[in-house]
Amino acid sequence: MFSETVALTGRELKHWYRAKVQILMMLVQPMVWLGLFGQAFPATIPVSTMNGAPDYMSYMSVGQLAIITLFTCMFVGMSLVWDRRFGFLNKLRAAPIPRAAIPLSRVFATVIRAVVAAMLVLAIALLFAHIPGLKGLTIIGHFGITDFLGVILILVLLATAFASIFVAIALTIKQQETLFAVINLVNLPLMFASAALFPISSMPDWLQTVAKVNPLTLAVDGMRQLFFHGSTGIYSLSVDIIGLAAFSAVFITLGIVVAMRSLKEK
Amino acid sequence: MTGYIEVKDLVKVYSGSVRAVDDITFEVMEGEIFGFLGPNGAGKTTTISMLTTLLRPTSGSATIGGHDVVKQQQKVRSIIGLVPQELTVDDELSGRENMLLQAKLYHVENKVAKERIDELLDLVKLDDASDRLVKTYSGGMRKRLELAEGLIHSPKVLFLDEPTLGLDVQTRTVMWAHIRELKESSNMTVFMTTHYLEEADSLCDRIGIIDKGRIMALDTPKKLKESLGGDVISVKIDGEMDQTEAIKAVDGVLSVKKEDGSYRVKVMNGETVTAPLLQGISKNGGKVTYVTLERPNMDQVFLEYTGRSLRDAEQAGSYDKMAMARQMRRSS
Ligand SMILES: Nc1ncnc2c1ncn2[C@@H]1O[C@H](COP(=O)(O)OP(=O)(O)O)[C@@H](O)[C@H]1O
Ligand SMILES: [Mg+2]
Repeated sequence: MFSETVALTGRELKHWYRAKVQILMMLVQPMVWLGLFGQAFPATIPVSTMNGAPDYMSYMSVGQLAIITLFTCMFVGMSLVWDRRFGFLNKLRAAPIPRAAIPLSRVFATVIRAVVAAMLVLAIALLFAHIPGLKGLTIIGHFGITDFLGVILILVLLATAFASIFVAIALTIKQQETLFAVINLVNLPLMFASAALFPISSMPDWLQTVAKVNPLTLAVDGMRQLFFHGSTGIYSLSVDIIGLAAFSAVFITLGIVVAMRSLKEK
Repeated sequence: MTGYIEVKDLVKVYSGSVRAVDDITFEVMEGEIFGFLGPNGAGKTTTISMLTTLLRPTSGSATIGGHDVVKQQQKVRSIIGLVPQELTVDDELSGRENMLLQAKLYHVENKVAKERIDELLDLVKLDDASDRLVKTYSGGMRKRLELAEGLIHSPKVLFLDEPTLGLDVQTRTVMWAHIRELKESSNMTVFMTTHYLEEADSLCDRIGIIDKGRIMALDTPKKLKESLGGDVISVKIDGEMDQTEAIKAVDGVLSVKKEDGSYRVKVMNGETVTAPLLQGISKNGGKVTYVTLERPNMDQVFLEYTGRSLRDAEQAGSYDKMAMARQMRRSS
């Protein structure tokens, strides 16, 4: 089980770092947010609603870490559809490997990709704060190794949950066009009905209710408490992490179950 | 002696109506190259998919090396190699990386794998291209890599689904050579499918002729051809004397027909009868000026057993495919 999963994860990662254009494309969106939107955004959002962030740019930068994770996870679906079309999935189905290795390797590779991408975005956001005339992510208090590991843990849990969801979706919806539509249908509401880009206190009540149970909200809420010391979040840090752990456990199980059913011979 | 692959009353019905495989029973012996010959849509891939655990039979059973393809899937998977009809090698990896991945999926020990990969890449003449990304390979190279992948774990049975489909004549000959070499260097059992008559004829120890999901005939290529009534030797003889009786007296001659100055002689086996026949004629004072040996070919065999030529069947098959493609578009 383990060795096959590692081998397949390796294959996914090779695909990824060989597709240099794809990596650049992936960074375009956070760059647009950080580089343009974040810089020009008027200071109409009261600082008091921003989980201890000193300014909107710092607030939103942390949100971008979660959003790049979401978007990286989205791509796992596309690669699965291609692998089905070109018979690679059938090749795996004919091999004497445990079925679960197939979805698990996708999830693991996606988690690694997502964390690397988020670290790139983090580096850019931190760098911006040091360039005169630009705004970036300003950390409040001491950001130590445990804080850093906390951020990684949150990203790993978030990516596990999302990657599993997209694996399940891609194995259920076999047509590329439909899959694209569904992914978009899922992505945009997830992104905007969360605390990733804007404080939820500025949202209508019903939207707040949705946003409060969105894994993205838990992730940014937890990370902000790590980046901006002394702040209080929507939930406590431990609730954020436990909530995310629960999400990822549920979704990875769902992903494996859906994969086993979909890969079974008909 | 029982077969290494045993198939009994196997049926596959797709989505309630298409009987793609319609009650087939056969055995494949250990170490033989067994081929399914049939047009597009005959049910060849469907049969292979059931035998390789990718598809669940609607009814009937099949075992490979004694392992049931439905109940003992992992056992079956570990002793078979599959070279599918479509190209599934990974474009974004090099040839060697593809092989390494395959080795890991088939639990070939790292040290063994390294040697085996070199050996196989050498066998399919990809050693020079092994470190290039597969997306730079030609169709023939990909197919050869696919073949090498199927062999990585030294499978007991190799399934080859249309191993030369879409290859040019030269590359096809190279593939045939590889397959023959394999057969000589190991005791591997090979189950292959093809819709090329020459391919079945020249590669397979035994052939099953399959049409519309049914096996219409099953035997060695030689026996299949003999079943059509043997070979025809045509001889032209100088001189006025009638040689009919002399020819009839030769062992193995079935019938003689005189047409102008030449005789059409039907025999069981042209190879062994030709020499005695010529001797018989010259003993009787005839001077042979011209001899040809006509043997029934697979095309005639196919016609005999399916009631249509393979070319016609192919056309009907491609029509099916188009109809299916239209239907698929509609239903999506
Ligand atoms: N997934 C499928 N669903 C429905 N019909 C199928 C499917 N796959 C194949 N068929 C039909 O089953 C028949 C046999 O197909 P196949 O086994 O691919 O033939 P071959 O490999 O001999 O060309 C054809 O009529 C084909 O249209
Ligand atoms: Mg086929």
